[in-house]
Amino acid sequence: MNEPTTIKIEKRPEEPSRTPREWIRKNLFSNIPNTILTLIFGAISIYAIRALLGFILSGERRWGAVATNMRLLMAQGYPADQFVRVWFTLGCLMALSGLSLAAWRASGRLSVKKISIWTMNLGGGLAIFAVLAPISWASRLGWIIAGMLFVLVGLSMWFGLRDSEKRLSGSVPTVWFTYGILGVLVLSLWTVPYGHYAFVDGELIAETGRTVAMSTKLPFTVMWLILVGSYLIGTQVRDWIPSGKAKGVLVGLWFLSPFILNWIVLRDPDFDYAHIASTDIPLALMFAIGGGLALYLLSKPDLGEIGRIVAIGFLIFAVFNWVAAFFGWYPMLQKVRISFVLLALAALIAPNFAADKRTRLRFAASWIGLIAVSHWLITAINSPSTLKLQGPTYLGGFSLTLFVAVLTLLLSFPLGVLLALGRTSSMPIARVLSTAYIESIRGVPLITILFFFSNILPLFLPEGMEIAELAAIVTGYTLFSAAYLAENVRGGLQSVMRGQYEAADAIGLTTSQRTGFIVIPQALRVSIPPLVGQAIGVFKETSLVAIVGAFDLLRIAAYVVPAQTEFLGVKREGLLLISVIYFIVAFSMSKYSQKLEERVGLGER
Amino acid sequence: MSETPPQNYHHQKPPFYRDAVVVKWLFQLGALALVVFSLWFLASQARDNLAARDISTGFDFLSVDPGINLSEGIDTRPATGGRALWVGMVNTIRLATAGILAATILGLVVGLARLSNNWVVNKLGSVFVETLRNIPLLVQIILYGAILANLGDLSYDSGWDNWVIWSNKGLSIPRVFIADGFYQWAIFMLIGSIVARWAYKSRQRQHDETGRDTYPWLGSLGVLGVFAVIGWFIHPIFGWVGGIFGAVEDGISKIPEEALQAVISIIAILLAGNWIRNFLRSRRTPGGSAQLTDDDKFRVIFSGISAGLVIVVVYVVWPGLSSWIINSSSDLFGVLEDKFGNGRSGGPFGADRPEVIKPGKFEKYGPSGLTMSIGFAAVFFGVVFYTAAFIAEIVRGGILAVPKGQIEAANSLGMKRSAALRTVILPQALRVMMPPLGNQYLNLTKNTSLAIAVGFSDLVQVGQTVGNQTGKNLSVFAIWMLFYLACSLTISVVVNFFNVRLRIVER
Repeated sequence: MNEPTTIKIEKRPEEPSRTPREWIRKNLFSNIPNTILTLIFGAISIYAIRALLGFILSGERRWGAVATNMRLLMAQGYPADQFVRVWFTLGCLMALSGLSLAAWRASGRLSVKKISIWTMNLGGGLAIFAVLAPISWASRLGWIIAGMLFVLVGLSMWFGLRDSEKRLSGSVPTVWFTYGILGVLVLSLWTVPYGHYAFVDGELIAETGRTVAMSTKLPFTVMWLILVGSYLIGTQVRDWIPSGKAKGVLVGLWFLSPFILNWIVLRDPDFDYAHIASTDIPLALMFAIGGGLALYLLSKPDLGEIGRIVAIGFLIFAVFNWVAAFFGWYPMLQKVRISFVLLALAALIAPNFAADKRTRLRFAASWIGLIAVSHWLITAINSPSTLKLQGPTYLGGFSLTLFVAVLTLLLSFPLGVLLALGRTSSMPIARVLSTAYIESIRGVPLITILFFFSNILPLFLPEGMEIAELAAIVTGYTLFSAAYLAENVRGGLQSVMRGQYEAADAIGLTTSQRTGFIVIPQALRVSIPPLVGQAIGVFKETSLVAIVGAFDLLRIAAYVVPAQTEFLGVKREGLLLISVIYFIVAFSMSKYSQKLEERVGLGER
Repeated sequence: MSETPPQNYHHQKPPFYRDAVVVKWLFQLGALALVVFSLWFLASQARDNLAARDISTGFDFLSVDPGINLSEGIDTRPATGGRALWVGMVNTIRLATAGILAATILGLVVGLARLSNNWVVNKLGSVFVETLRNIPLLVQIILYGAILANLGDLSYDSGWDNWVIWSNKGLSIPRVFIADGFYQWAIFMLIGSIVARWAYKSRQRQHDETGRDTYPWLGSLGVLGVFAVIGWFIHPIFGWVGGIFGAVEDGISKIPEEALQAVISIIAILLAGNWIRNFLRSRRTPGGSAQLTDDDKFRVIFSGISAGLVIVVVYVVWPGLSSWIINSSSDLFGVLEDKFGNGRSGGPFGADRPEVIKPGKFEKYGPSGLTMSIGFAAVFFGVVFYTAAFIAEIVRGGILAVPKGQIEAANSLGMKRSAALRTVILPQALRVMMPPLGNQYLNLTKNTSLAIAVGFSDLVQVGQTVGNQTGKNLSVFAIWMLFYLACSLTISVVVNFFNVRLRIVER
């Protein structure tokens, strides 16, 4: 992935430090209009904070509804006895994150100065909120004292490093700081009486004086341990393993994890082993060996035109299989049809790997890997699930939101790049088709597309072919998102200098080589910030699937919880909570994109 | 350079399947064939499936009573499907227009607040932007809807002295409406604006000649105000304008269908021919022969085909088109005749205070106030806050994009802060802001479709109801698509117009 950048980000000169009095005078009361503004908007903000705190802490609020339904909000109706699969999935992601942080040598450091300021701000904020909140004087006093304690800790950090030289240079690694904060949160699960809420056999349990249930605090502790442990292991092992290889493996794992974790771990397919041994494995072996051999031969450097003709032949055969499927001329396993398409595409790009034996062998090996993974996944998807479900899907709530977002992004990426290439290409028909597609999709709201795919799509399918509601929704969302993605990538494509094309032509690259190895990498690098922006958009707009009937986070908070007899009409609490969840994810992503933008921008200048 | 020429690769003609032009066109035709085949295949499947389920496609449902009630709009019990969709469109347009206005103002204010030197104002702006743009719009809309639905019950006391009334049934404010004499008064205002423009120019000229402050804006506004006041009282003198429209109506209804068909065809041919001629002329090299790329050939062929398509549509596909054009335009002039006609002596505007009525068991808002239902309010606040957060960032970015030297130059010329903002900073910032702003307006318009989550009768909600009621989901989808594409097109045309106006004129 990224080479360690050598660009030094120039820091702005440190602002001269002021006494609080000077600061207040400069920023709040510098002249009369400024003073008036301060008074008016200060009053407004005090009123707003009071109103918000009053709303949150009011006795009418039933936060128990949210606490009780936390599992519903996160994983909907996933069977309780199989819930360990959810934790296993989360654990895998934690381990991957820890290892990746270690492999990419996350080296950010937080200065002690910053931490002390944060601590003081937190303490001050707590005290101010305690003063404004409508709570009893005793608890108000308690919160103020707690806030003051934070301020004291911050101050001691500040003055503990009285030496100003040290104050600037003293720092801790960001990773360990984050782990520390998460650790404190996990520890608080064991000590602070948040309250114990649950549905046990349909009975509502609400005990306020206890810590949270064991089924919550234990897994979260394990998750924290996995995260920290994998990072520690990673830091120990990383010096022994070539870093490029380790990173490559991790990227591959990240790419595969949504598919494997979802369809294998969470869905738990009920494999029919007899059928697998008799049909699936021979088929996979046949494609792996035959295809690998064919590709090895096709990438022979002195093959010339025959390779292309064979590849075109493969392509025609692969397309013909689908046409035959639509007309029902001859039966064929769907898996075989898909494999033939993959083989034809691989054969088309084979000349790009026409080099020494090593490269060719690696090309053939990656083909075998592709066949292994794709056949395994297709078999898993086609096998029935062992889960006993109440609802339509085994995913729901936040997990469904994440699933739809991740799958949509992954699937729309290749399509979007193709559309962008089509729109910027010199071929008139390709350009008109892609432009028409992009513009007409961008012209209509997402919700109409989702309605189209959930209501109308079944009408377009041939007899006997059915599409699950969720699959239809993800298809529609992918087609929608690809049009927007194409526009972002197009911006990147247009920023690639003409000289790059000419240089590629000059050294004799073919069009596909030029596009794949020269143009797209540079275009994508420029379009990373807008693409992250789009990822945020895709994540936020997954909430729209609630309207077409999928049980995502929003639907459960807005329609499922308020319909429970115990919590009839309790809607605002859940909506506020999910707003916070959406906010945390989207906000951290947007902060990340700002950082990226700075880096890319600096590289440009 | 070497003496001996390199091997003459370019003299050997490559085999046809390696010829770049052939491969390119083969690939494109293949792609086109694939797309056409897939579309044809899907369409044929849809036809079979629809026939099997005994559903007919088509647009006849537009003239059939759908039997639905709408929550609000110009007609809550529409007599036909078309009327119902029309009500939805009006609601969407209403919501989008109000939303665009409000979001622009709020976004401008918040964007300026984020640039303020005042710490409190600055931080409030940041919190507003960061919070609202990171929470999904749909969540916000449903949350606002839930909060508004918990307001108190409706009564006369819940509000400010019968000027503004709010409750869990919505918010009602005094309604200002277009009254009897509006259209005749509008003629006055048209003349007034011409005179005002003339006044503006003459004062501007005075300013340029003498250097005095002549306040051209103030002068022209004053002229317009005088016209407005005089027109308020004597507008019926324009009653004869209605007669002109009546005459036009008669004239149009006498045009035979065939003549219009012929005229449209000839115009299409002439336009295409003219375009092709100009295009070829522009491609002509000084040497005389036209160098045409694939692209150019494609354009020429495409323009010819589109002219042919127009003719086919006019004569074969939709022969009723010309009579429809004739009828609807004569209808239009009929309406205009009525609006501008004699006997309209009332003022151009009127106003009513909101009221609460009790037709049955429950109170509800009477028709006299301008009532914003909970659904409307939830979507309105949702799209306005959400879009305003994005607009604020655009405003901030646009102003920050103005080079600092410009501001310093304005200061050193001795300009006042407000004058510098108005004449130096904003014009340059607007140039940067315009394209993304247009995008936000488009997004806002499309986002109003989320109204379905709170039951506000916008086009999507009405369309969904009508579609489920009649089974014509496909036709409804086509109407959605056309409507939103038309909206997008309108907004981009307007934004582009300003964009061109604001562009730096370079040599």
